[in-house]
Amino acid sequence: MLEDWLIEVRAAPTLEALEALRVRLLGKKGELTQKLKALKDLPPEKRREEGRKLNEAKRALEAAIKERAEELKHAAIEERLRAEAVDVTLPGLGFPAGNRHVLTQVMGELVGVFERMGYRAVLGPEVEEEFYNFDALNIPPYHPARDMHDTFWLKPAPGFEAQFDRPLLLRTHTSPIQVRYMASHTPPFKIVAPGKVYRHEATDATHEAMFHQLEGLVVGDAITMADLKGALLSMARALYGPSARVNFRPSYFPFVEPGVEFEVWWQNPKTGEGQWLELGGAGMVHPAVFRAVDDLREEKGLPRLYEGKTGFAFGLGVERIAMLRYQIPDIRYFFQNRLRFLEQFREEV
Amino acid sequence: MRVPYSWLKELLPEAPSPEELEAVLARLGLPVEEVERIPAPPAGVRFAVVKSAEPLPGTALKKLVLDAGREVVVVSGAENAKAGVGVAWAEPGTRLPGGLEVGVREIQGVRSEGMALSPAELGVGEYAGGLLELPEDSLPPGTPLREAWPEELVFELEITPNRADALSILGVARDLAAALALELKTPDPKPPLKDLPFPLEVVEVWDEKGADRYLAAYARGVRVGPSPLFAQRRLLAAGMRPINNVVDATNYALLELGNPLHAFDKKALFEGIVVRRARPGEEIVTLDGVSRTLTPEDLLITAKKGEETLPVAIAGVMGGENSEVGPETTEVILEAAHFDPVSIRKTARRLGLKTEASYRFERGVDPNLPPLAARRFLELVADWAGAEVSANWVDLGGEKPRKEVPFRPSYTNRLLGTDFPEDDQKGALTRLGVILKGEAEPYRAYPPTWRVDLNIEEDLVEEVARILGYDKIPETLPEFFPAPDNEDADRDWRAENALKRALSGLGFQEVINYAWLGEDELRLYRAPKPRLLLANPISSEQGALRTALYPGLLKNLLTNRERPHALLFELGRVFLDEEETHLAALLAGPYLAPTWQEGVGEGYYALKGLLEALARRLGARVEVEAAEYPHLHPGISGRVLWEGEEVGWIGELHPELAEALELKAPALFELRLPLKRGARAFKDLPRFPAATRDLAVVVPQDTPHAEVAGVIRSAAGGYLEDLVLFDVYEGPPLAEGEKSLAYRLVFRAPDRTLKDAEVEAFVRAVLEAIEARGWRIRG
Repeated sequence: MLEDWLIEVRAAPTLEALEALRVRLLGKKGELTQKLKALKDLPPEKRREEGRKLNEAKRALEAAIKERAEELKHAAIEERLRAEAVDVTLPGLGFPAGNRHVLTQVMGELVGVFERMGYRAVLGPEVEEEFYNFDALNIPPYHPARDMHDTFWLKPAPGFEAQFDRPLLLRTHTSPIQVRYMASHTPPFKIVAPGKVYRHEATDATHEAMFHQLEGLVVGDAITMADLKGALLSMARALYGPSARVNFRPSYFPFVEPGVEFEVWWQNPKTGEGQWLELGGAGMVHPAVFRAVDDLREEKGLPRLYEGKTGFAFGLGVERIAMLRYQIPDIRYFFQNRLRFLEQFREEV
Repeated sequence: MRVPYSWLKELLPEAPSPEELEAVLARLGLPVEEVERIPAPPAGVRFAVVKSAEPLPGTALKKLVLDAGREVVVVSGAENAKAGVGVAWAEPGTRLPGGLEVGVREIQGVRSEGMALSPAELGVGEYAGGLLELPEDSLPPGTPLREAWPEELVFELEITPNRADALSILGVARDLAAALALELKTPDPKPPLKDLPFPLEVVEVWDEKGADRYLAAYARGVRVGPSPLFAQRRLLAAGMRPINNVVDATNYALLELGNPLHAFDKKALFEGIVVRRARPGEEIVTLDGVSRTLTPEDLLITAKKGEETLPVAIAGVMGGENSEVGPETTEVILEAAHFDPVSIRKTARRLGLKTEASYRFERGVDPNLPPLAARRFLELVADWAGAEVSANWVDLGGEKPRKEVPFRPSYTNRLLGTDFPEDDQKGALTRLGVILKGEAEPYRAYPPTWRVDLNIEEDLVEEVARILGYDKIPETLPEFFPAPDNEDADRDWRAENALKRALSGLGFQEVINYAWLGEDELRLYRAPKPRLLLANPISSEQGALRTALYPGLLKNLLTNRERPHALLFELGRVFLDEEETHLAALLAGPYLAPTWQEGVGEGYYALKGLLEALARRLGARVEVEAAEYPHLHPGISGRVLWEGEEVGWIGELHPELAEALELKAPALFELRLPLKRGARAFKDLPRFPAATRDLAVVVPQDTPHAEVAGVIRSAAGGYLEDLVLFDVYEGPPLAEGEKSLAYRLVFRAPDRTLKDAEVEAFVRAVLEAIEARGWRIRG
């Protein structure tokens, strides 16, 4: 009898059938339950023996039902999982992966190097007065150094003449920020000034009419040219690794004296060959610039603070660094804004 | 500045080898842009003398009979082909540097054997307008030209505007000699001076600021003709075109010494020379044949003729045609002067005339150079043109003293961060020609007059560093506490960076566009009127400074037409009444791009949701009020209120504009920076449960959600924690022109559980306010 039941239990095809079977056998009116109820009618000596057998059968049945139930549940889950399975190789939803412009990324990296050394990044206007772009930087009118700056001059649109009454231009370098910053801040300080600059130039693969510079300026009581070299070496190492080197070559920028071009030893990632790269101009702030700043301060009712101080300044082009790093062949790619180009430069988090 | 190596070697016999020279010059701040190798003429080019030159009738050609060791006939089109001069003749079979193979040709019935060559054909210069013209006794006819014309290396130097002293062979040699402690052979001309009376009655400078030195010298018996071969070779290598032996002598002395010189035909000067400012509208025809109108800014050399003074040259820029030295000239007045740099620069710029002379004068020529340059010219013109040269000359203005500049070696080290010994520093300056006086610092330094760039102590520091070597400067890092007012200086930079990171984090690609747009483009895109125009644009797109960023983003969509799905943003300057920093973003197509599944999240509400997400990231509150803009769909546009302040707009592109651009109208916004950050205050986590009630408000269809929400908020009282719009419905059973807005109101008190009766009271107040507006609650 028990054997038949066990066979039935093990063959129950579904959980529902198993439950029905359990009720049939073990429910209140179940076949086994009935037999157990009938025990009390048996004589005591038989009752004991029969009771033991029936209880054993009950336990065996219960265990078998539980086991079968587990089996069936497992099979049901298996079946559901089989049914729910998807092609995981299909693409996910089309979430956009945003990106900063490659020049923003490279500029951010450069500024970051200096921020770690305690510099603060400051900004200045792109439309500049002739005074700040040239005169205050020791480049008076008719100075031959103006030849080094092909300038986009501006004129007011009709109807706006009264509003724009001074000679305006698109700044040709970020150096005017030096003057603006010193005129309103107290030394000592360390700043960098990232920004766009403009040159009146026909564009080709290596020339753009708009590009980005990073300007640096440190002024204090005893700032030296060795400090300048140290700052640039720190930058070079951050960019090009621990073996980077910095070299100065005499050059001329009217707002620094001595004035140099600085080169960084760089290893071409493609060829593995090293070469000196001219990255920018630098030097010690020219006393004439300090004087112009103090004159401005005096006009604004501020104390003269800069004569007698020393400081260094540097400026470098960001496009060039990006072009070298990624081997970009044409500077015009940066502002064509073709997504196929921009999306290649994923954030290096 | 082109420096032929052989010329440099003449003044600096121990000059470094060409291989080493480049690095040395770079170290001195005279970097080499290019080293040009000018090969010797091909072996088949021979020196020949023109025996006769006859025109070929009916043509511009001439038949030349040459003595090239044997008689040969060639046909030439050169205007300057004439009997009695030496030429470079290429025999048949010669391959010229330009690749042409010379042959025997039949021209106009004449058998032309080989070719007489111009400097360009010979590959030694740029001039192609005539034959290289040499003295007929330069070489025995038939001699291969290369025997006297060896290969030359030319170093093309990039001279910064301060180093006017290096614009001559002497200047470059002098700097090298100082740096390498080599012997310099300064030219010491010994012209065969004769005691000839100076022939002009008058030499006067009426503007002594314009010409603070004016020297006039005299030569007579001049036989104008071609310059010697070696001189022409050098002039050509240095980039100048030989003209004749007198003009070439001025140019030769200029290139060698650095003082621009000018030779006048004495006849054209009448009684003498007056240097004065031009009168308004005065004219002169310059050597290039162009008539130039002058202003009182221009300094003139004039010839005195009775009461008149007639222009014969624009001082320091270019001579006049009327006083040019030509084949008939026999008497020459040489001008060796020093002119005011600013005056020369103004004139040269206004006239668009950049000459070898103006280039040097505007940068600064040694005012004490004229006597040496004049002597050198007289020596050359005596030698090359057989002239008698006069020991008598006029020198107005005279020698200029050296400037005095203080010099402290300790300051050098303080500024450079070095410890250069005092003696090394003094030695470096002395080698550069600086005279030092004094026993101890501060020394009095007297820089040579050719170093117009050495004016202050820092200039001398640079010279010390340049000569002793920038590589001796160590690397250090400064340490100090910045003054407190520098503390917040990077506020704007940090804010811009945070916005760029937030937007790219939301899925936008950053673009960078030019600051300019064409005026017609600004009109097309319906952007605000330009305030500033470019005065000297190069391309038509450089019309005006942009007054908004969004036209750039739309142009970027056009550039990327193959990508109908794009999220772009730009953060940059726009130029309205003030220069402003804007942030603009654009959504074209759905936010989630279609893949094998459909795209999700398109249009105004998607972009607005992104703007709201941006605001949440910055902890700020953003709202939009309906408003119209010329470039936006009038029904899908509004002004953006950021923390309650109007900062810009958001909407969908106007369908007309979209159509004109052949674009599906994207959604876009543009905001003016700075964007306020919201207050960052911590609110403790709720401890008591909230009570929520849902209300569906039926309102006329054109009633904005913001208005309904405002009414609910102000009626609901202080315990309304949140108000969430969860459904908008139009259609039956609502009447036409109605809509239902369903809100969930969340009430919570921070300090207790709200009682049902309280919440009911709040809701009743809301209901009353709604009814008071004539709206109703949907059952």
